[in-house]
Amino acid sequence: MGMEAFTDGIILVDFEFHPVSGREGNLPTPVCMVVREWPSGHTQRFWQDELQQMGTAPLPVGERALWVAYYASAEMDCFLALGWPLPANLLDLFVEFRCQTNGLHLAHGNGLLGALVYFGLPTIGGEQKDAMRDLVLRGGPWTLDERLAIVDYCESDVVALAALLLAMQDRIDWPRALLRGRYMQAVSRIQRNGVPLDMEPLAALQTQWSAIQDQLIADIDQDYGVFEGRTFKSSRWEAYLMAHDIPWPRLESGRLDMSDDTFREMARTHLEVSPLRELRSALSEMRLTNLQVGDDGRNRCLLSPFRSRTGRNQPSNARFIFGPSVWLRGLIRPEPGWGLAYVDWSQQEFGIAAALSGDSAMMAAYRSGDPYLAFAIQAGAVPKTANKISHSFEREQFKACVLAVQYGMGEASLAARINQPVARARQLLALHRQTYRQFWKWSDAAVDEAVLGGRLWAGFGWQIHTRDELNDRSLRNFPMQANGAEMLRIASILLTEAGIRVCAPVHDALLIEAPLDELDRAIDTTKSLMQEASRIVLDGFELGSDVKEVRYPDRYMDKRGVVMWDKVMNLIGKPTLACPEAARRTSLRPATAPVHSL
Amino acid sequence: MQSTTPTQQATATALPDLKSLRLPANYGATLGVKKLLTQVPVGRPKKPQFFRAHAADQMTFPAMLLEQKESRENYLVTPDVAQEISELVRPVQLYAAIDRQNNVFLIPVPLPGEDGTRNPWHESLAQAVEHAKRKWLRITANMNVGGYDVFEAEGPLPEPEWPAHDIDALIEVAFRGRIITDLDHPTVQTLLGRI
Repeated sequence: MGMEAFTDGIILVDFEFHPVSGREGNLPTPVCMVVREWPSGHTQRFWQDELQQMGTAPLPVGERALWVAYYASAEMDCFLALGWPLPANLLDLFVEFRCQTNGLHLAHGNGLLGALVYFGLPTIGGEQKDAMRDLVLRGGPWTLDERLAIVDYCESDVVALAALLLAMQDRIDWPRALLRGRYMQAVSRIQRNGVPLDMEPLAALQTQWSAIQDQLIADIDQDYGVFEGRTFKSSRWEAYLMAHDIPWPRLESGRLDMSDDTFREMARTHLEVSPLRELRSALSEMRLTNLQVGDDGRNRCLLSPFRSRTGRNQPSNARFIFGPSVWLRGLIRPEPGWGLAYVDWSQQEFGIAAALSGDSAMMAAYRSGDPYLAFAIQAGAVPKTANKISHSFEREQFKACVLAVQYGMGEASLAARINQPVARARQLLALHRQTYRQFWKWSDAAVDEAVLGGRLWAGFGWQIHTRDELNDRSLRNFPMQANGAEMLRIASILLTEAGIRVCAPVHDALLIEAPLDELDRAIDTTKSLMQEASRIVLDGFELGSDVKEVRYPDRYMDKRGVVMWDKVMNLIGKPTLACPEAARRTSLRPATAPVHSL
Repeated sequence: MQSTTPTQQATATALPDLKSLRLPANYGATLGVKKLLTQVPVGRPKKPQFFRAHAADQMTFPAMLLEQKESRENYLVTPDVAQEISELVRPVQLYAAIDRQNNVFLIPVPLPGEDGTRNPWHESLAQAVEHAKRKWLRITANMNVGGYDVFEAEGPLPEPEWPAHDIDALIEVAFRGRIITDLDHPTVQTLLGRI
């Protein structure tokens, strides 16, 4: 398959657009569009009033036509905004450039200009591009000269796109590239839906966060005495640790390791650390002013597909509701008459590792429904009749071991995590190697491939160049992460094309919504298509899924965030906060509506 | 608020046969990487080490060993040299063995003397190795009884995965640089007090 298959034409397209009312989080308003037929160069330019009159794109969008764009989800956003059918075939040169160069150092990045420079093609200046983008984002009305400049700028991108396609055409991995293009259409649909938020508590948090922070610090720090104003003082923390005889990890420099990961790990074994860890996390990650919320109360932001090295989406932590502290997910709430469902693959990484390595013992463990207990049984550590209740202690240790292998943890880290001697951690890791020999053989081969062959790949062509990547942990983890990303992409395609309203992809899960009377059916369809996606990626091996549903008026909540959510909501209702208006907002308290822990 | 999000349109085109696009995760398949056998220790299994002995007769090797206890080194002595220094060498049968981490090693089991008897320690070790051809074992010296206590693994442990090397290859690695083929060997000269 190649470009000759597209007998109805190859169309290069670019839109200029800005969010409605200039507010990030709102849907886009197309300003202009330029299409250029390839290779003839025949070009058509359309201003927004013309676009609004058109019921479909001005050139064929059927099976025998190919549309080409750079970062195509933006163009698809405009298609959807205009109510146009999406093209059957979409090639995104941004995605293909990312795929071809992932893992390489790109001095000029992977934007359109960076790609042009990479292939030695002429470009317009970055400053000129920024100026034109600002002009578009400013919104209308524009003078005639400005309109002309905007359309000229739009056309210059399409001309650049033509040059780029010429440079890249022999490197395109058809038809996997079209599959990736199809995912960009799914992304566009998902971005358009967005995540419904409860605006009342969001507004209260945004206006009162400063006072809430002070109150949270006052409440929690009275047991620690480590804050000075809003500053966490490491010297005071060191004194606290000594006074309470808590051994704390240190950096090579000898200073205390103050990373959130360390706080999280230590909080598992020293429960008294937990409230402080939550507070630190809440204070550092709380950037609600950047959360992109449209006028309709829906969180919409770029999902940044293919941005991470593993090919996973990498939306901005500050703009995406699933980015900040987990307690803030309590803001997610279905609209009246609607429900949400969070559907994730069960133990996705374990399942992927089992299937791709072909380790029959590991596959059997996954199919048992409880791979952690199955591992303990297979290793001979517990009797075959063991269950979650009778051997919960052992199961937790074997679970920690499985996760440690997935994260590339060493014996010392695992020991700390399970609060056991290093010898026990060493034993568990050895049992994993002994029980799942085929997996380890395959994992070793992946490292060999990366080091000697210079690249690793996932099932549908996403790849990473590994000449400069000699981190054993990253290399071993890549196949699981990258194939997990492939699975999510295929599921997103299947779901959105089946008409399911996907609100957000979240690592190994999809958040969907439906009217309450359709929610059960939507969940069944979602589960079924996610299973199909797993079979497609894993050559017939099927991953199960877990579902947590939320029906209005309930709100979504991550179980890890319940305590902090309740604490903050209670503060909002208190007169001790500086803002007197907050005291009157008693309706914000969460208590009456049941919380669904996800 | 919901009204701003239009009903989604499903594209009319069919998905291609996605499974046919799948690339196999057969990493290393064309690179031909294999693990090299670089070390084969010679000695009894350590106290906590569960091990198996190879069941095939061709995976054993009769040898004359010169043991240097101070340096914990074993030398393989050729028969003609062994005849000349018979008081320094010991006839043994070397057994290919493997532990749970797939480490291969050789267990030297002293052969019976001319009268056909062995001391209790050697007899005990020979019995343990014979048992280890079928079961995962670990052995511990028991000074009171003058032999080894044998512990058999109770769990359903998988069979060992033996490397594709014959006994000659194991011997070659195990005694690389430590084969005595003439009496001028420095170790022999030292033991005979000639230097």
